[in-house]
Amino acid sequence: MTRRSLILLVSLCLLAACTGGSDDGGSPSAEPSGPVTLTFWHGYTDVEADSLNALLDEWNADHPDIQVKPLFVNNDKALQKLTVALQGGEPPDITYQYGSSLASVAAAPGLVDLTDWVQTPDVDWEDFIPGAREAATVDGKVLGIPALVDNLALVYNKDLFDQAGLDYPTPDWTWDDLRAAAKALTDPAEKRFGFAYPMDASEDSVWHWDPLLWQKGGSILTEDGSKAAFNSPEGVEALELFAGMAVDDRSVYLDIQNSAYTSLFNNGRIGMLETGPWDLASFPDVDYGVEILPGFDGDHQTIAGPDMWCVFDNGGGKKEAALEFLQWLTAAEQVQKEDLATGHLPIRLSVADDEAFVGQMAEALPGVDVFAENLQNVEQARPVLDAYPQISEAMGTAIVSAMLGESEPKAALDKAAQESNDALALAG
Amino acid sequence: MPDDGGLNGSSVAAPAPGRLRRLLTSEHLSGWTFVLPAVILIVVFGLIPIAWGLILSFQKAGLISPEREWVGFENYARIAADPKARQAAVNTIVYTLLFVPISILASLLVAHALNRRIALIRFYRLAVFIPVVTSTIATGIMFLWLFDKNFGLANWALGKIGIGPFGFFEDPDQAMVSLVIMTVWGWLGFDTIIYLAALQGVPPELTEAAAIDGASRWSSFWRITWPMLGPATLLLVVWSTISALQLFDEVFFVTHGGPLGRTSVVVFYVYRLAFEQGLGGLSLAGYAAAIAYVLFLVILLLTLAQFWLARRVVHYTS
Amino acid sequence: MTTPATSVITESPAAETRVDPRTLPGEVGMVERPRRRFLPFDPWHLFLAPLAVVWLVPLLWMVVTSLETPSETLRFPPVLWPESLRFGNYLDVVRDSAFGTWFWNTTVVTVTVVSSNLVLCTLAAYAFARIRFLGRTFVYFVLLATLMVPLQVVLIPTFLIAKDLGLLDHLGALIVPNLASVFGIFMLTQFFRTLPIELEEAARIDGASRLSILLRIVVPLSLPALATLAVIQFLWTWNDFLWPLVTILTNQGAFTLQLGLATFQGAHQTQWHLVAAANLMSMVPMIVLFLAAQRAFVRGIATQGLKG
Repeated sequence: MTRRSLILLVSLCLLAACTGGSDDGGSPSAEPSGPVTLTFWHGYTDVEADSLNALLDEWNADHPDIQVKPLFVNNDKALQKLTVALQGGEPPDITYQYGSSLASVAAAPGLVDLTDWVQTPDVDWEDFIPGAREAATVDGKVLGIPALVDNLALVYNKDLFDQAGLDYPTPDWTWDDLRAAAKALTDPAEKRFGFAYPMDASEDSVWHWDPLLWQKGGSILTEDGSKAAFNSPEGVEALELFAGMAVDDRSVYLDIQNSAYTSLFNNGRIGMLETGPWDLASFPDVDYGVEILPGFDGDHQTIAGPDMWCVFDNGGGKKEAALEFLQWLTAAEQVQKEDLATGHLPIRLSVADDEAFVGQMAEALPGVDVFAENLQNVEQARPVLDAYPQISEAMGTAIVSAMLGESEPKAALDKAAQESNDALALAG
Repeated sequence: MPDDGGLNGSSVAAPAPGRLRRLLTSEHLSGWTFVLPAVILIVVFGLIPIAWGLILSFQKAGLISPEREWVGFENYARIAADPKARQAAVNTIVYTLLFVPISILASLLVAHALNRRIALIRFYRLAVFIPVVTSTIATGIMFLWLFDKNFGLANWALGKIGIGPFGFFEDPDQAMVSLVIMTVWGWLGFDTIIYLAALQGVPPELTEAAAIDGASRWSSFWRITWPMLGPATLLLVVWSTISALQLFDEVFFVTHGGPLGRTSVVVFYVYRLAFEQGLGGLSLAGYAAAIAYVLFLVILLLTLAQFWLARRVVHYTS
Repeated sequence: MTTPATSVITESPAAETRVDPRTLPGEVGMVERPRRRFLPFDPWHLFLAPLAVVWLVPLLWMVVTSLETPSETLRFPPVLWPESLRFGNYLDVVRDSAFGTWFWNTTVVTVTVVSSNLVLCTLAAYAFARIRFLGRTFVYFVLLATLMVPLQVVLIPTFLIAKDLGLLDHLGALIVPNLASVFGIFMLTQFFRTLPIELEEAARIDGASRLSILLRIVVPLSLPALATLAVIQFLWTWNDFLWPLVTILTNQGAFTLQLGLATFQGAHQTQWHLVAAANLMSMVPMIVLFLAAQRAFVRGIATQGLKG
């Protein structure tokens, strides 16, 4: 490349770069003049993105005065990106956040307190799934609108059960039934496992275990939320089940990637999974069945992992516009459209109880009806507080440690309780 | 020209002392003119942020809210009593002690192999460089599958010769070594192209002459080539040490510090404190910054030591 | 057998030493050492070939994945050769996403940053290597010190500075902070100091200015180092993810390739075939640059001017 053309190219690049400033800058304006443009951060991809974009197009066409401008942010990056943006005084108008992030976001300046707004009749707050409402509330204040709900149930490979001559799981199954089935389905020669478990010690390792703790009658924290309570005898028994399966029976595939299990299940290497509706689309090659979780003493409660839309007040009438948009987005009609397209579970009871609609969803994605019904089994939620990330880390480490056989369940849980209490004390 | 190996050694001798003063002034002026654009940029985007971070280390702060509370050296004092910080420090040191020597020696060998005119040499050079170009995420996924205890290629191959199976990333005792393997593999190409460029600077006439004089390949390498690689080696040792002590991406995307915290390195721990666990009420960002600045101090001292050592060993002008 | 070293140079290369006739023009340096051959090919192939295979595994894995159907990507054991070669995946990536925009943005940013680095780092490194000016050592180590604090710690203050300078939310944020890299200065300083100083001294005595010495003598001798810097800086800028992530706040039109690739990776579902195809396409420019830079990895004509 000649020197002259090189200089030309560089100048062109500099020019392109400096004129890269977009239409509306970033600073919140004082006067609402003309159309309001809302910055909308989401992490939807693939089918979800198609559905969301269709809804956005519909809204933008009908509302020239309130335009919603989407920006893609991976969900697991959303908190970090929000943190940086907040420090610079540039939060978005609406952002998608994991429910578990809500306690951390609570202290953010500009975060809109929705407690009063959700009481307005058009929002119909009581129609949202109870578990989601609870997860959206921090210290009595509603800080987010449910965007997504799910829950954990049992997904199993019918062919593997047939081959082993086992009866399919029933709603009355106990965890011991699952353990026995897992053992029968495990074949070391064929490299086949009866069960799988996420072993990256993240929140995934924790919330897959919480239902067992709760079914036994245990709880994560004490009533007043000041100390850990998961190392109770109930908790130890609950962990002994998984630890026994992993260490003694060797019937569990220990998934340290926390994503290998999908392709392994899809290829008949795993018999049963404790997972959520989002995975169903990843099993095209398996004749799978879905059943509610096994239980202890007839208690089959499960856990939900709701995610939220959070709103920030950037002045200039944007907050009101954002609320108006979110009300529309989470209204029953839009919820139905989205659920049918994506397989997401309904965030509203009115939609979840609509058997005809749920039946429609199940035609598109078999098994999703069981998940929808399972929403009724969501009784409690994880604590929403500052110290939760550290409690989660402690619990996750304990579970992984016990399942690797590195420590006994009681010792592992006691250690985690100690660390959690330290974190709770620090948070004050 | 006296060669002291240090930065102050080499410069071009000025003409007669009569105009010395004027030239001295113009030496300083021209020196500063040359470095000024870069220095301004780096001061603005490098130094000022570092100062900000340092101030943060003396405060109790959560990155979500703008609140700050001055706590002096309390954050620094806390580090000693924090078992997780200790674990992170040990892991980081172990990693660095394994990674740096292995990658420097391996890249030297590979660069030497690539520094020749044989068929397919361009293909070989490209092949070695490809992992550097591949994203960390893609590399991570590949290695997780490769090292899977039950289904991975590594255990399958090792099983054929009667060894294993190994837990690799799943085994608390093997995870660190697996991490070293993965990162050496991923970054070898980087060190190699630097060594390759340096080897290009070794006049073949010298090695040729030595060969004609009957020197063995090994002694001609050791006596002629190796000393000329001094500056490149210094560059790579300093750079690899700095990078190894600041390891983050591979831990974040592949091991998440596990299993059981055995691959949790300092920067990873800092990140978790600042961006995941210490937000809101816990306000651990200041503490995280304090840990980062202790690491900074360690890196600084280590680098100075390396430069000082290089003064005695590295030769610059020919 | 006692031919003095210098005579090797004064003779014409082709006559006295065995030069591979396939030598590239200018690549005078590489000479073959005559030896007895036990194998029909150079023994180094035995080392390099397996090495290359091992090192190329990810690329092969990505190529295969990029040609699979979504269902094939979920198979285990992994599919070694897809049933049909779905080159359409590549078209899907370009058509269904803003791949063109991402590619253009990344190119603009990277070319600008690499060019700027080549200029600014060369200037600064020459001064550090050859000019004795007040505060030289101090400034050098202060610059190096900026490498010793990890990005995660200075992410937020750097963001604040970028915001105050009006750089956020467009390509300026990705370009301006990276116009000069400390690593580049460090690397070039080391290389410049290995150059024989006699040439520069001679020119200085003849009254040449510093700048002309730099441009006419030092730079031509430093092509391997400059090419290396270009490749490395290109690599870092092209693959940068964290900084673009936090500085692009509302403007999806300013997405770079790395940000764009992330849109194929959802929280629970990832379209592996598209991720692989997109990743491969984004690797192409770097591979092209690397191969082009190899032409610059030639020994300069300088050695011919060395001996008098």
